[in-house]
Amino acid sequence: MGNLLEHMGIERDRLHFSWISSAEATKFVDVVKEISDKVRALGSNKKFEKDYN
Amino acid sequence: MDTCIEKIRELSADLLEKGEVTKVIGFANGTIPMATSPIAIKTKQDVDKLVFNSTCGLNLANYVSGEKGKIAVIAKGCDSRNIVTHIVENQIQREQIYIIGVPCTGMVDKHKIAALFEDEIIDFSEDGDTLMVSSLLNTQTLKKQDYLKDNCLYCTHKNPVLYDVLAKDPVEEQKFDNLFPDVDRIEALDEDAKWQHFENLTKNCIRCYACRNACPLCYCPTCFVDESGPQWVGKGQNKTDVNTFHFLRAFHCAGRCTDCGACVEACPMGINVRDFTRKLNKDSLELFGWEAGLDVTKRPPLDTYRPEDPDDFIK
Amino acid sequence: MKFISIDKNDWTRGIDKSREKYQLFGPVKDENGCLIKKLEPDVQPDMGLHESVMSAKSVIFPQTEKILNASLDESIENHHIMQRAKTDYSPRAVLGIRPYDAKAMELVKLNFDTKDFKDPYWCDAYEATVFVGLGITKPGPFDFSTSVGTGPFCEDGLDVLLADLDDTYLAKILSPKGEAYTAACGFNAIVDEKESQALFDILRKEAEKNIVSQVKIDKLKEKTILELHEADFWDDIAFACINCGTCTYVCPTCWCFDIQDETKQKQASRFRNWDTCMSPLFTRHATGHNPRGTKVQRVRQRFMHKLKYFLDKYDQGIMCVGCGRCVKSCPVNIDIREVCHMMNSYEKQD
Repeated sequence: MGNLLEHMGIERDRLHFSWISSAEATKFVDVVKEISDKVRALGSNKKFEKDYN
Repeated sequence: MDTCIEKIRELSADLLEKGEVTKVIGFANGTIPMATSPIAIKTKQDVDKLVFNSTCGLNLANYVSGEKGKIAVIAKGCDSRNIVTHIVENQIQREQIYIIGVPCTGMVDKHKIAALFEDEIIDFSEDGDTLMVSSLLNTQTLKKQDYLKDNCLYCTHKNPVLYDVLAKDPVEEQKFDNLFPDVDRIEALDEDAKWQHFENLTKNCIRCYACRNACPLCYCPTCFVDESGPQWVGKGQNKTDVNTFHFLRAFHCAGRCTDCGACVEACPMGINVRDFTRKLNKDSLELFGWEAGLDVTKRPPLDTYRPEDPDDFIK
Repeated sequence: MKFISIDKNDWTRGIDKSREKYQLFGPVKDENGCLIKKLEPDVQPDMGLHESVMSAKSVIFPQTEKILNASLDESIENHHIMQRAKTDYSPRAVLGIRPYDAKAMELVKLNFDTKDFKDPYWCDAYEATVFVGLGITKPGPFDFSTSVGTGPFCEDGLDVLLADLDDTYLAKILSPKGEAYTAACGFNAIVDEKESQALFDILRKEAEKNIVSQVKIDKLKEKTILELHEADFWDDIAFACINCGTCTYVCPTCWCFDIQDETKQKQASRFRNWDTCMSPLFTRHATGHNPRGTKVQRVRQRFMHKLKYFLDKYDQGIMCVGCGRCVKSCPVNIDIREVCHMMNSYEKQD
């Protein structure tokens, strides 16, 4: 999936997979932080935004 | 191409006469140049309608599912691989289908040939590796090898992988160091250029869904684009919706696509629909060592789990 | 009737001049074939031999058309009330189309512009459009237009008909709209009417002679709907069909559409999209019941509508102008000429 998105020209950092146990609260926080930082750096994805006009 | 049509007719007549099958699914001559049409032959008298030539680019596996009795089908290498996929996915039982395998020397690309002419083609014939094509203004003799469909150029399974009988001797298979130079070319682009490539590809798409409907893999009772509760994707010509359809359909074919090229064959707008599926075929091969439709005992990689499956994408 | 001679050297300058008052549409060829598109300021219509894959119907009836708008913002007046979308209905001209594409518009008009109901979107676009046809001198192998009462120089529905005379176009002005358009181009070299008409007649006869494809439609009228409906050939015709929408979308006379609502933030829009009777979704009821649930029913519907229901309802011939686009584009080569022949010659076996 990630490979296909990348192939289409969607930045790879928009898709993340992670394996987190319910006991790993710290890992969850770290992963979410990392993801949101990366996506924020990329900005909003205009490629799949629909233009109605 | 040695069309071996006499042998195909003979085998078909025999099956129908003995009542072993209720019908034989094959190709009939079209009403226009460079066209053939799928047909179901039900009586021995009709077997003369069957033809096989370099314009049989559609995939007949698309016509075998949902059958109740036993049927026979004429299968090229790719058709046979999709029959295997059908069997694996329980669309048809092996006992229900008698496969008349035809080792294939490739199908011609109608768009490539049409592009050589300023006006419409009025006549097409072939003799071995030579094609004779004429329009009102012009006649050309072409080498078949130069005008093969792109998927046929890189075909490594010309011979049927599953059959009950072969209509002629197997042909030599091709070998390549790199099966995916077309994917490499796209991969070499930067992000925006990649996106642009696909936007250009679909700019003339009319969403007739010929690609989907010609594809033997697309047998869902209701396709996600037709579903209205919930509605996953808009139904109009908005390019976001058009691209969503193409990318998601491609993803649904991941690890199942045999690269038969029926989607490209069917597209009235000349879109190279395979550009969407090829990347997934490449990944299937590189990540899972998998080519679809070669073995009725193996399920496609996205259907199964093996401990050694690559998982470096999970952080 | 007025005839004008247009020097091909003046053609581009003329139509560029018309862009001041008209939006232009016309055939544009790219690597995948020829389509009728809106012409951007730097794009010229392709007046060559290429036959456009799609007809000119999208100029009047776009594949996706926004028809209504509403705001979902409750703080403003008239929120949630649908209002007609703003569409540019300033004059437009579609250039270089095959003549019978305009005839197709006349047939479609019977449905969109009736005594009781007028489709405002279609009618306004039709009203705004000048149809400039280019006579077909070299009909393709799929063209069976003469059999269905149109032809390569058919004038019905056109405002201007051009004949290609190598160095010049001879233009036959067929309506006041056509007159206004040629004036806006600055084309004004009036030529002798009698001579020009004679030339047109020669070209038309020559082109008609080159049409190799014929169908017979003479007996369709006398057949009963039920006997054709129950004929034994439909299963065989439909077998190859993959139920894509190609035939209906390339057809200049297919007019069916579907309505879709979409919202984005506080903006709601209602669109209409081309629909196709080949799709199971076309007739599926909200209950899940589908009166045309099988492929063979849908294939039969398309041909019965074109070749029988329309004929019986309007008595204006069949709903086909003989362009042959569906014959050429059908992925599995289902040929309306063959189906027409089967229907026309069908005799019920007792």
